[in-house]
Amino acid sequence: MADQSTQTDELTSRERIKRALSHGKAGRISKDTSNKVMLGVFRAAAYITTLVLVAIIAYVVINGLPHISPDFIFGWPEGVNAEGGIWPTIVSTIYVTALAMLICTPIAVLAAVYLAEYAKQGRLVNIIRYAADALASVPSIVMGLFGYALFVEAMGLGLSMLSAAMSLALLMLPIVMRTTEEAIRAVPRYIRWGAYGLGATKWQVVSKIVLPSAFGRIATGIVLAIGRAIGETAVVLYTMGQAINMPITPLDSGRPMTVHLYLLANDGINMNAAYGTALLLMIIILAFNLFSRYLSRRSR
Amino acid sequence: MEETPSAAPKRELALVSHATYVKEKALRYLFFACAFLAVVTVILIFAFTTYSAFPVFTDIGLANFFSLTWAPSEGEYGIVSLLAGSGLVTVGALVMGVPLGVGTAVYLVEIASDRVRKIISPAVDLLAGIPSIIYGFFGMVIIRPFVAQISDGLGFGALTAWFVLAIMIVPTITTLTMDALNSIPMGIREASYAMGATKWQTIYKVVLPAAKLGIVDAIVLGMGRAIGETMAVLMVVGNAPVIPSSIASPISTLTSQIALDMSYSSGLHRSALFGMGVVLFIISATLVGIVRLISKKRR
Amino acid sequence: MRPSCCPGSYAVSRRSFLACVAAGLMLPLTGCQTSSSSSKQITVAGSTTCLPIAESAAEGYQDETGISVLVSGLGSSAGIEAVANGTADIASSSRQVNADEQKLGLTEIVIAHDGIAVIVNTDNPVQNLSTDQLRDIYAGKITNWSQVGGDDLTIQLVNRDEASGTREAFKSIVMDGAFFDRRAAVLSGTGQVRDVVSRSVGAIGYISLGFVESKFAETAVRAISVNHVEPSEKTIASGGYPISRDLYFYVKGTPTPEAQAYIDYVTSDKMDSIVRDAGFIPVTDDESAGE
Repeated sequence: MADQSTQTDELTSRERIKRALSHGKAGRISKDTSNKVMLGVFRAAAYITTLVLVAIIAYVVINGLPHISPDFIFGWPEGVNAEGGIWPTIVSTIYVTALAMLICTPIAVLAAVYLAEYAKQGRLVNIIRYAADALASVPSIVMGLFGYALFVEAMGLGLSMLSAAMSLALLMLPIVMRTTEEAIRAVPRYIRWGAYGLGATKWQVVSKIVLPSAFGRIATGIVLAIGRAIGETAVVLYTMGQAINMPITPLDSGRPMTVHLYLLANDGINMNAAYGTALLLMIIILAFNLFSRYLSRRSR
Repeated sequence: MEETPSAAPKRELALVSHATYVKEKALRYLFFACAFLAVVTVILIFAFTTYSAFPVFTDIGLANFFSLTWAPSEGEYGIVSLLAGSGLVTVGALVMGVPLGVGTAVYLVEIASDRVRKIISPAVDLLAGIPSIIYGFFGMVIIRPFVAQISDGLGFGALTAWFVLAIMIVPTITTLTMDALNSIPMGIREASYAMGATKWQTIYKVVLPAAKLGIVDAIVLGMGRAIGETMAVLMVVGNAPVIPSSIASPISTLTSQIALDMSYSSGLHRSALFGMGVVLFIISATLVGIVRLISKKRR
Repeated sequence: MRPSCCPGSYAVSRRSFLACVAAGLMLPLTGCQTSSSSSKQITVAGSTTCLPIAESAAEGYQDETGISVLVSGLGSSAGIEAVANGTADIASSSRQVNADEQKLGLTEIVIAHDGIAVIVNTDNPVQNLSTDQLRDIYAGKITNWSQVGGDDLTIQLVNRDEASGTREAFKSIVMDGAFFDRRAAVLSGTGQVRDVVSRSVGAIGYISLGFVESKFAETAVRAISVNHVEPSEKTIASGGYPISRDLYFYVKGTPTPEAQAYIDYVTSDKMDSIVRDAGFIPVTDDESAGE
């Protein structure tokens, strides 16, 4: 298929169709049968995918729901088997995500402004885009290693909210950058021309016209990145620590929900708490994803 | 390239006061600095991880590092079996995940009615949002016991990881393939139908070849996700750093070994983990490079 | 023997974290040590294995007396060193002092017994293994249950991760210098080992005796006897069961009254249920166990 299709690349679409159909000689199986069978195969693939999704969500919901109660959400883990609640882990997760968002958003938005409004296409922009893509695809455990080596050890921040937030911010950076750039590019040119025509400077156009009108889509990207950060485990595992603690200052250590779930599942003793944590985690993340869909629909 | 853009706005900004001009200029550099931070970070990640892995070159030696045996307590730091493990789980996940992902995308774009599409495609989006730890958890409590039953083993190993990773990369592949299919002009399909082709013939002979590069793009990104996945793999592979005797016996991967050993390693062992991080970084950067080459070709 | 990653331990519990927190912790400890006896603060440093006990006892003791207890897990050796040079009041240790450390003149208090049960699937007919057989099994020399009097079934090894204190104890008591078979599945939690063994006929694993019967688990495993001694609280407390050890506190000279009160609290029957929850065996019923 590979060599045939490299050829077809040079052909126009009409030639390609003609060529393709001339191969469609009456085979052993009629084209209607093969059509039906193959469409069935595709339908099956889609249904399997959907079914798996429903199965995972249903499984977590069914097993987690009985264990969720106000005591579970707002209580502290008690005893050696973490009975009781998971409140400190929820706070740690929210804390570190908010901090990461605060660190990441200004940088990512300004970077996107540069790429979309200021930069001319060229080698440098290419390099920046390649770097952003590379950053987006760095395996999360490598990001964790890096965060550990740089923030925790070299910068002496220790296992803390700040170390974890900065590592997470690196993870969120390319996501927010890309969505913001797309959002800015989606703002119609003529709006800008109008502003320039009134004598506005570039920064005035960007800050007063472009960013406000792109705000909805930018928010979508940020919310999406937040969802990603909440669900991240490998990055925070070795940057935040694993101590159950209510974080107050950014230099406090803590244990986010994902790590709590990981440790509970690994320990395999108090699985009820693990199911409850998994369900809460999923609800929070799905809520953020749905919120981001809602935002993107509204801003369209 | 910095020369050309700075010349143009100068003329434009000549109408404003010097203070404004300076401010605009300063902001411009600030924005550039922010954008360039991505580059700095990537270089920093590579440099710092390599720096921490330096004893791999000096004390462990590349021959030891790229040998078969991973046994840090015995002074053996060979990552080949881990590399093989990463490769094995990735290839299997792709074999299972690509047909499913591409099939789902084709169904949603080419076949499904609007109503079905409106239900399934957001569902796939949500599937992409579920964190890996939950996939791992699901794999551990549901898929592992299932594999244990059908294979008469412990249920840890490549087979379990295939299931889990396939589920994880399907949304990635589906979403990107849908983008590629959607970008193909409707006219091509209409022309094909007009010539009497069935839907399947149109998909197979016209749509898929036209979307080929986009699909390869999707597969490479899915591959990146599978290789780099840590938590889900850690929970189902069994973490035995050996070349497995069967797909249902415990193995280990680069990512899972790092996550498992980080907590207690020290000295050379820790450097070796950073060395594995460098290897992973190079792999993922290469995959991104491939994706960029493909998308350049697409344009 | 509590896995070191137990979710309940209120402190960083993996060893490397300890190593890097250690420096940070020890400095303030040294600083306030001179004043700590007057401000009635007790510092306990040492084994991560003992952490759940020491932590829970610290909470209870503080509630009762208002005297705060600082507990940190730095590893047994670091704890003993800290007590020897006066940085900590009490060292917790999962091993007895070695020959070198004996010269330091520390007083030893046994705070709990710890027995590691070798578990198999309930469908596995094997009832007993000798420590030699166990070593050969875990070293990968014996690979089929029929070689030790069982069915013709491949042995599926389940091992713990290297950060685990259980693995460390098992290694030092059973392995006798032999290396673990690297083909074994490496799991990082007691409950997981238990669950995996309970679902695979050919599996073998080891966990603290306290977790063989679990109120959380839906499935069962069977602890086999080792060298024909069944693992039980009694045989472990008496030292008859081979894969067992004690957990210790070490103090230098005569402890302060506060420290002594804390030690008494730890070894009192108030701690029984906590010690059992953590998978250990309390020392309170030692007499009745017949020494």
